[in-house]
Amino acid sequence: MRIVLLGMSHRSAPLELRERLAVDDPAPPLQKLARCEEIDEAVLFSTCNRVELVAVTRSLEAARLRLRAFFARELAGELEADELEEHLYEHVDGDAMRHVLRVASSLDSMVVGEPQILGQTKEAYQRAAECGSSGPLLGRLFQNAFATAKRVRSETRIAERPISVARVAVELARQIFEDFSDKQALLIGAGEMIELALEALRGHGLEAIRVVNRTPERAAELASRFGATAHGLDELPALLRSADVVLTSIGGDRPVLTAERVGEALRARRGRPMFVIDIGVPRNVEPEVNGLDSVYLYDIDDLASVAQENQELRRREAARAEAIVEEERQRFDGWLTALRAVPTIKHLRERAEQIRLREFEQSLRRIDLDERQREGVEALTRAIVNKLLHAPTSRLRQEAEREEGMAYLEAARVLFALDDEASDRPGEEPDSGDQSPDGDGEGPERG
Amino acid sequence: MAVQLHQWTAALYLVACLVAWLGLGLRARWLERAAVGVLAAGALVHLAAFSQLHNLNPPPPLTDLPAAVSFMACAGVFFFLALMLWLRLAGLAALVAPLAFLSTFFAATQLPDAPVASFGGSGSLPHLHVLLAGTGLAFLGVSGLAGSLFLLEHHRLKTKQPVRLPLPSLEALDRVNRVSLLAGFPLLTLGVVTGMMWVENVQGSLWSGTQHQTFSAIAWAVYAVLVTLRFGSSQGARQAAASAVGGFALLFFAVIGVEMLA
Repeated sequence: MRIVLLGMSHRSAPLELRERLAVDDPAPPLQKLARCEEIDEAVLFSTCNRVELVAVTRSLEAARLRLRAFFARELAGELEADELEEHLYEHVDGDAMRHVLRVASSLDSMVVGEPQILGQTKEAYQRAAECGSSGPLLGRLFQNAFATAKRVRSETRIAERPISVARVAVELARQIFEDFSDKQALLIGAGEMIELALEALRGHGLEAIRVVNRTPERAAELASRFGATAHGLDELPALLRSADVVLTSIGGDRPVLTAERVGEALRARRGRPMFVIDIGVPRNVEPEVNGLDSVYLYDIDDLASVAQENQELRRREAARAEAIVEEERQRFDGWLTALRAVPTIKHLRERAEQIRLREFEQSLRRIDLDERQREGVEALTRAIVNKLLHAPTSRLRQEAEREEGMAYLEAARVLFALDDEASDRPGEEPDSGDQSPDGDGEGPERG
Repeated sequence: MAVQLHQWTAALYLVACLVAWLGLGLRARWLERAAVGVLAAGALVHLAAFSQLHNLNPPPPLTDLPAAVSFMACAGVFFFLALMLWLRLAGLAALVAPLAFLSTFFAATQLPDAPVASFGGSGSLPHLHVLLAGTGLAFLGVSGLAGSLFLLEHHRLKTKQPVRLPLPSLEALDRVNRVSLLAGFPLLTLGVVTGMMWVENVQGSLWSGTQHQTFSAIAWAVYAVLVTLRFGSSQGARQAAASAVGGFALLFFAVIGVEMLA
């Protein structure tokens, strides 16, 4: 069995192209793919950052062609074949396994360590399982991928610190304030970044929000969106006195918040701390404000610098995560290789059972046993066979996980004459117990 | 038995200290929580150790320095654990546990042949003095530890350095400061009053003129000023934290340091 993965992601294709290939409902294409003779199992993974098909096949070359054709016809639509080919990547066997594990662990994501990808991977596998295109091999691979992602999150610090400016602002606010339910936020101006930060703070329980803007209409619009109250710029000094978190992003050449104005507010606040996030360019808050005792001022560069440091930490942790992925890939690879031993072990057990039954029945014809004795002897022979086969079959499974294990499988087939057709027919096995020189197979006759 | 239990307590506090440090270093929340759990177990054994002290014949006076230090550690740990029910303070265990360990270790090594108190006296006043002043000192000690963490975090946030240790929030540390002062200062005041009554019982006057009493009075006066500043004016959280650290250092020297030097 071979594993092949064909796909396109943010690393290989621009957004416009990925958009055209995105699949809302993977069930119809997967059902079509499952009907193809070359494909034994398949999972389709489609998010805004990637479209990937992973399949199990017994015929690698045919499957590669089939997947390419499928991509071009079912997913790419009117896209030129050359253009598609240019942005596609392909991984086979070990590389394909590694890729699936890396994707689930968020090591291949645009934002390394982001948590959503694991849920998306689970959903993709779930959809494939529901429409019957996934089988035992991909099932095992994806379970392995989920376990790997869990290990990466618990054993590394890859997702520990935020790397978006908005999340960094929230993280800093949490280092200052114990809880946000009794805090007030003051939004001066507007901007995507501070709105994101405000949204994240609301997620931590911040409810009381006041919006200040030069234009009352804009303030009212923002206020209605956040369930806040709208105010004019002239109310700023009074509002500042009760604000615990201040987010500013307002146009203008001169700072809106001067050290003097904030100092006055602090006196009225009786020393309660204030966290000021200034995302305005040019800056809306005088840098001297950070010199005031209870004020913690962070401008866009400060936030970006923290985000950059956190990004650096993630990069370092990603190296540790890659080692975990490699370890898990080898584990899965071992399991996959060990599957080679299954036919031999199955054959060996069938042979042993044939011999046991034949010898048992022959013996019964010579010895007169009641029902209880007969059951006892049968259990005895079965136990002997199981015990005899336990060590060699376990060893075969273990050895089959390594490349050199093939030699053991070959040896087992020769030693137990598993490929000898005559030995499968009753009474014709070359090493029949009746002919054994040391009489190993004659136990029942002696009894 | 009491000494053995003190040794066990010290061992548990040491384990709590190591686990708390490891938790901070590895940024592992579960280790921080485990440290608090071990600290709580240590506090229970500590309590058992005190009950055993009372079973001794004759029971060693609580006014002995090792017993008093051990009592302060126990009160401080219980106070910290009570605060933990209200605030996210697991990071503070990294400072509470080592101080509790050092105090209990000192007590465990000194208790068997503890010297008798330099002061005489009978009745409940000596013990009442130690209980009140010791509890007050323990609370103010927790305030001092929280203050030192506050100053560390404040400096980091002001200078925009990256997070190195997962410490409690500034607001939580400031709340510890306020609560500790609110509870600790009245207890300390009562401790000073009962101490003076004890002196009067023994010597006939409220003032003995010993170094212990002199420095304790100075420390109490300093604390009175700090408490007035904290609750009477618009003192900021940073100044309050710095005051808590300085105040506790002075108080520690006045109550314990002077005794040890003597």
